[in-house]
Amino acid sequence: MTTVRILGVGTAAPGLRVPVAAINSAWDRRSGRGQVGVCGADEDSLTLAWDAATAAVRAAGLDPSEVAGLWWGTSTPPFADGPSHAVLANAIGTGPLGTLTSGSTHAGVDALLAASDAVAAGRVEVALVVASDALRPGPGTGFETRAGAGAAAFVLAASNGHGGIGSAWTRSKPLLDRYRGSGELDQRDLYDGRLFREEIFLPLVGAVVDDARTPGPSSWSVPDPDGRLGAAIARRTDAGEPASQAVYSAIGDTGAAAALFGAIGAFAHSGRVVAVGYGGGRATAIEFAIDAAVPGASDFAATLANGREVSYHKGLRVRGQMVPGGETIPMGVPPESALFARGAEEMLQLLGARCDDCGTINTPPSVHPHCIACGGPKLEAVQLARSGTVHTFVVNYTMPAPFEAPLPIAVVDLDDGARVMLQVDDDGDQLEIGRRVDLVLRKYAHERGVPVYGYKARPRRAPVGA
Amino acid sequence: MSWNRVAVVGAGLIKMGELFDQSYEKMAAGAFAAAIESVDKGFEPTQVDAAFVATQRGTLWGQEGISGNTIPTAIGLAGIPCTRIENACPSGSDAFRVGAMAVASGVHDVVLVIGVEKMRDKSTEEGLLSRAASGHPIFTRGETAPVLFAPFATRHMAEFGTTREMLASVAVKNHYNGARDPYAHFQNEITIDDVLRSAPVCHPLHLLDCCPQTDGAAAVVLVSADRAHEFTDRPVYVAGFGVATDHPYLHEKDSFTEIKATRLAAARAYSMAGIGPNDVDCAEVHDCFTITEILDIEDLGFVEKGRGGIASLEGETSLDGRIPVNTSGGLLAKGHPIGATGVAQITECWWQLRGQADERQVDIRNGFALQHNAGGRGSGVAVVNILTNRREGLG
Repeated sequence: MTTVRILGVGTAAPGLRVPVAAINSAWDRRSGRGQVGVCGADEDSLTLAWDAATAAVRAAGLDPSEVAGLWWGTSTPPFADGPSHAVLANAIGTGPLGTLTSGSTHAGVDALLAASDAVAAGRVEVALVVASDALRPGPGTGFETRAGAGAAAFVLAASNGHGGIGSAWTRSKPLLDRYRGSGELDQRDLYDGRLFREEIFLPLVGAVVDDARTPGPSSWSVPDPDGRLGAAIARRTDAGEPASQAVYSAIGDTGAAAALFGAIGAFAHSGRVVAVGYGGGRATAIEFAIDAAVPGASDFAATLANGREVSYHKGLRVRGQMVPGGETIPMGVPPESALFARGAEEMLQLLGARCDDCGTINTPPSVHPHCIACGGPKLEAVQLARSGTVHTFVVNYTMPAPFEAPLPIAVVDLDDGARVMLQVDDDGDQLEIGRRVDLVLRKYAHERGVPVYGYKARPRRAPVGA
Repeated sequence: MSWNRVAVVGAGLIKMGELFDQSYEKMAAGAFAAAIESVDKGFEPTQVDAAFVATQRGTLWGQEGISGNTIPTAIGLAGIPCTRIENACPSGSDAFRVGAMAVASGVHDVVLVIGVEKMRDKSTEEGLLSRAASGHPIFTRGETAPVLFAPFATRHMAEFGTTREMLASVAVKNHYNGARDPYAHFQNEITIDDVLRSAPVCHPLHLLDCCPQTDGAAAVVLVSADRAHEFTDRPVYVAGFGVATDHPYLHEKDSFTEIKATRLAAARAYSMAGIGPNDVDCAEVHDCFTITEILDIEDLGFVEKGRGGIASLEGETSLDGRIPVNTSGGLLAKGHPIGATGVAQITECWWQLRGQADERQVDIRNGFALQHNAGGRGSGVAVVNILTNRREGLG
C-alpha cells in the first residue's frame, strides 16, 4: 500500500470564549474551571474550516488550485441538505472532487480516511482534508461546559512531506451516546452519565486504544467529552498527558475536529502519534509517523491562545439559543434571490474585473460592465489580493438584529491596487488608518435558513512588544 | 437654458416632524395649500399645467412608488400631467430642475413641484435593515446611512486635523437656526458638549451629528418669467442649476475628503448663473451629517479645501457670518424627509431672497441663494440650484 504523506496542516479556533464558571453560575451549579470556544455571530463550522484549510494549504507551500478536492468532515454543516461542500471548496479555491462526511463527530476521521484512500488509490495527487465543528449543546445540559468549536486541516499527497499516515482501527457499537434527532438543532443530554461511561464510551474507545497501543506511540490524541473520560482513556495508553489536552483546555470539545486537532499538537516533533476519533457509536484510531516538524504545526499554540472572553448570555445569543421575541424583519436581499446567484462566485472566490485598457481593478464584477476609471468595456476576471491597508473606516453602533453591533467597516486598499469596502472581523479597537489587514471568510448573515458567506478584513495585531 | 426664464412665485411647506397622524397624501395636500397661499396676488389650483413630484423611498417606506398618479388626486387635480422624479437624496432638487426645464422649454407655463416623503411609517429597525442589506448582497451589507458619510469624517480628521468639536459646531449652529424656524422638526438649541456626549452612532459620528428621520412635504410654483408679475411683484428667478453623478459605491471613490459630484454640479450651476461662490449670499446645503456640511462648504467653494471644520467652528457659516449656511436649520434640525428636502430648501432660499425669513433673515447683498443636495449610496449624485431676486445677471 502507498504510504500517504502529510504536506502541511492548519488549525482554527473560534473568536469567543465562555468561561465554564459563567455557565455553571447561570444554572446554579458549583463553579468550574476552564472555558469553551464559541463561534461569533459571523463564524460557523464552514468559516472555521476555511480558516484551517487556507492555513494548511499555505503551510504546504501550495496554491489552492493545485489541490484536486476537499474532504470535509463535520457534524454541523451549515446546511442539513444543501451546498455546504460546494460553498467551502469554492471559497478555498480547490478542485470540485471530494466529499462531505457528516452524521456524527466521527466525521473528521471519516474524511481523513476517505481522502487518504483517494490519494493511495492514485485517484488524486493532492487532497485537502478538513475537520470542523461548532457544537451546539442544549442549554443546561451536562456537556454544555465542554462543547466547543474548532477546525483542523491536513494536506495529503502520495510523496514528499514530513510525515505519513499508517494503519487505522475502527470499531462500532450500536448504542446511543450524545446525539441530535432529525431536525433538532441542539445536542441532547445523556440519559445516564454512568451508563454512557461504563457501557458505551470506555468499552468502545478503550478497544481501539488497545488496538493501536503497540508499538508505544510518543503522543496520543484522545476524546474527552466531559473533562474526565479523557483522563480515564489516557491511563489506558500508558503514556503521559495526551497532546489533545491543550485543545480541550483552551476551546473545549471540538467534535469532529477533536481527533485531528489534538494530533497536530504532537506534529512539531518526530514520533508515532495516534489520534482517536469518536462519535455516533463508532471509534477509530489512526497512526501517524512524523519524521520532522510538519509545516503549520507550529501555529497550534497560537491558534489556541486567541479568543475574546464573553458572557454566557452572549454565547447563547450568538448560537441562536436566546432569541428576541416579536416579529423578525427580513433583509432587503433574500439569500435565495438572483442577486446571490450572480454574486456567489465573485464573493466566494473574491474576484475583481481588471480593465484591459487601463489596468484598474473593479469590484465586484457583476455590477461593473464598464471600468470605473476609463469607462472601457473589456474586463477580465482576476482574483483579488487577500491583504491590504486601511484607507478609512467607521464603527457602526446602530445595527438592528441580525447584525451584531458594534460593526466596524473599512475601506481597504488591497496589495494589488484594488479598493474594497468590507466589514471588519474585530471589535474595532485595532482599527486605524494604515493598519494592515488580511481578508478572511466569515458568515455575513443567516436568514430564512440560509447562511451567507463573504470576506471580512481582519486587522493584523501589533507585534508583541512593539 | 438662458438666464432667468423661470420664476418661483409661490413656495411653502408643512411643519416637519414625526407625523403619524398624516397620510402621505395629506402631507402633499398641506404643502400644496401652503405654496398657493404664499402667492402674493392669488392663485387658483386649476392654474397648474403640470406637476413633478419627488419621493425617494417609495414602496420601501410603505408608501406609493407610483406617486406620479397618486398626487394629482391627493391635491384635487386629477387629470393633470404628473411625473415622479427619483434621484436619491437630491430627488426634490432634481424635480425642481426638471420642472424649471419644463417651463423654460415652453411646454408648460405653470408647473407645480412637490416633494413629499414618509420616513416614519415603518420602524427605525426596519428602515435601518432595508438600508443595511440593499444593493450588492455582500459588498454593501451593514451599510446604514451613517456608514456612507462617516468614512469621510475619519479621513477628513486624519488629513486636515478636523476635530469632533468642529463637527459638533455644525450641529450647534443648525439647531440654533432651527430653533428660529417654525417648520423645523427640532426647535431646540444644543451645545457642543451635547453633541460630544450624545450616543455613538457610527464612529466618529454621534447621535447629534446625524439628521433625524422626518415626515414632511414642501411645494413650489414655477411660472414662465414673462408671466411672473401676474402672480407677484417680488418673483425669485432660477439663475442656474447643475447635476453631476459619481460612482455609486464608496470603495470606488478616489478621495474621502471631497464629494466629487458636488464639485462638478456646482461648477455647472455657477457657470450657468454666471457667478462664483463669493457672489452667494446664503446657502441651503445637504447636512445629513455634520461632516457632510463641512465637505459641502469646501466643495461648493465657500471655503478652502480642508478649512470646512475650522470655518464652521469660527462662525463663518452662522446667520451673521461671512456666508450663512442652512439658515432653516438644515437637515440636522429641520429634518430630512428625503423627497421633500430639496423643495423645502428652495422654500427657505425663496424666503431669504424676498426678505421674509424673520429672525433668520440674512443680509442679501448680491441677490443670490444656493441650494444643494448630495446623496445616493456613496454620494453618487449631487444637484445644485441657484436662485436670484435679480431679473438680470451680474454685469
